[in-house]
Amino acid sequence: MWTDKQNQTLILILDELIPANEKAGVPAAGALGVADFFPAATPYAPDPVQSITGILKAVDDKIPDFAKLPRAEKIALLKDVETRHAADFATLVRLTYMGYYSRSDVRPMFGVGPHPVQPKGYDVARESNELMDSLTAPVRARGQVFRDV
Amino acid sequence: MKNEPVDVLIVGAGASGAAIAWSLLETRMRILCLEQGPHLADKDFPSRDDDYELSRYGKFSCDPNVRGLKQDYPINADDSCIMPVNFNAVGGSTINFLGHWPRMKPSDFKTKTLDGVADDWPVDYATLSPFYDMNDQTTGVSGLACNPAYPKYSPPLPPIPIGKLGQTLAKGFNEMGWHWWPSDVSILSEDYDGRQKCVNAGTCDLGCAAGAKGGTNFTYWPMLENAGVELRTECRVREIMVDQDTGMATGVIYHGPDGQVHEQKAELVIVACNGVGTPRLLLNSKSKMFPDGLANRSGMVGKNLMFHPLTGVTGVFDEPMKGHEGPMACSILSQEFYETDATRGFVRGYGLHSGRSTTPMTYALGGFGIDSPIPWGDEHRDVMDNVYPYIAGLTVVAEDLPEEHNCVTLDPNLSDSDGIPAPKITYRLGENSRKILKHGEERAKEILLAAGAKKILSKGNDIVWWRAGWHQMGTCRMGDDPNGSVVNGWGRSHDVKNLFIVDGSIFVTAGAVNPTSTIQALALYVGDSIKTNIETLFD
Repeated sequence: MWTDKQNQTLILILDELIPANEKAGVPAAGALGVADFFPAATPYAPDPVQSITGILKAVDDKIPDFAKLPRAEKIALLKDVETRHAADFATLVRLTYMGYYSRSDVRPMFGVGPHPVQPKGYDVARESNELMDSLTAPVRARGQVFRDV
Repeated sequence: MKNEPVDVLIVGAGASGAAIAWSLLETRMRILCLEQGPHLADKDFPSRDDDYELSRYGKFSCDPNVRGLKQDYPINADDSCIMPVNFNAVGGSTINFLGHWPRMKPSDFKTKTLDGVADDWPVDYATLSPFYDMNDQTTGVSGLACNPAYPKYSPPLPPIPIGKLGQTLAKGFNEMGWHWWPSDVSILSEDYDGRQKCVNAGTCDLGCAAGAKGGTNFTYWPMLENAGVELRTECRVREIMVDQDTGMATGVIYHGPDGQVHEQKAELVIVACNGVGTPRLLLNSKSKMFPDGLANRSGMVGKNLMFHPLTGVTGVFDEPMKGHEGPMACSILSQEFYETDATRGFVRGYGLHSGRSTTPMTYALGGFGIDSPIPWGDEHRDVMDNVYPYIAGLTVVAEDLPEEHNCVTLDPNLSDSDGIPAPKITYRLGENSRKILKHGEERAKEILLAAGAKKILSKGNDIVWWRAGWHQMGTCRMGDDPNGSVVNGWGRSHDVKNLFIVDGSIFVTAGAVNPTSTIQALALYVGDSIKTNIETLFD
């Protein structure tokens, strides 16, 4: 669907949309392989491949060798493309977030379990009666807060 | 194609259709319910999938225009600042609702008398109170008794955990000296009636595969089907038929799963299609006798549409709030600003709900019901690493007032997959609602700061949440005056004596609480009234 060069550019673009946090071991979107998500993203955008191809073409029209640009220039170029191709760029951003955060290996990096939320869910202890009594005591002490009719 | 006649025909298997079917069981009448959606199996709920969050933006979106499934009808909301949301299946929108279960208050039924706005209801809190209790028992409601914001009642189950997030915010409310209370929820804090307690999955909007949430697919419908109520799924009603001599409803015409058009006769027709679907069906049921739509001699069918306009404020705290753990929207609820206080510059009021936060994808895409992704680039990295885990928020749920220009009509160009005209929503935010939201936003900031928030995130640009039209009310309102209302004080059409409406469309005012418990209490009350008046039902 895309040439090797386009694929390489796409990965670099994705790395700028969601950059890595190397200190925390959180990968960037391109390095994680989010590009693989796009062809199957038709339930979430009318024509994802067409939108992304449009962005790749817009980047290529501006600079044939995106990879060689220093980071600050890459970002500036992408901001320019975002302005000129707002709808397609918005689709790219949205699908990048979807492809990245839907991965079960990514969720734990943000404190969320890797597992499907059913049937396991999360262990959350119910507050003890003593804690709830103490928390609600000021509210109860004030008394009725609804109007009598 | 014709079918054998039934005694009672209910259109819609959601919150209200299920409740009234249950109420009428003891009459031993033959009851049939037609539902346009399917009966979902366990495997159909996305919360069992690895990439469960994706379905929120596809087949399990709350927005029917996004889902676009065969059973969904499109909604034209181009002239509205709020998009109605719903779900079409057995259970209706209780499949993807968030299980918040507050009752309306005594003053909600008397706004004309107390505040000089809208109209008084023809029923009051005391009348509905036993039906609230009855419904809570059947549904399985968790909460803490003796809430000072209500006349005394006791939920059947203890409260769900309010969690770190709820405890933190509760301290903020206490610091301000303002009311709060653990939320009443139709979510099981303990195993109940053969159903498993909540596992704190945090994705209530994706359907509760465990059955801990009180969707009627898990509460009423298993009982009803065991008791012999016939449920026909994937059957979409096109119109209600009327005898042009007697003016009585004779049944419905519907599109079946076989692709054929069917006719179903009934002695009694009950409409339970929600505040958008019900006026749509009535407006599409035109005849010589009812040229402006069935039961619409008052001209009120589709008028006075009310939502609960929402906005939100988020605080960023020092410690992770674990907001994705626990029932999605339900932790604590403040009703400090619920009742009218003339010094605030508006009438009626609002609730402050501590919705928990959501999962990373939804947060990155702007939050639940919001299409406004967070920035990309280094700012994205900063928000996801240093903001997302630490947030706790408050949602302002405003009471909307009925205004005739806010309405549901039939779209002249848009239709569903059976060719039935789609609803068109015309809605603009009232000035009173705007003031309420502004006031609520300011108070929410104060609470979050009092609770220890280091930073406040607020849009502050007067925009209500777009996909916030969960609660659709007022479009076939109750009343004693046939010229100003569609149904009487017990849900019977003023114009068609064997036609009843039981969903949120019959609300006279909206209150500032999630309406499902009131919708079901009303449905049980209408059912009880039918039984009480059975001898003279059609007089």
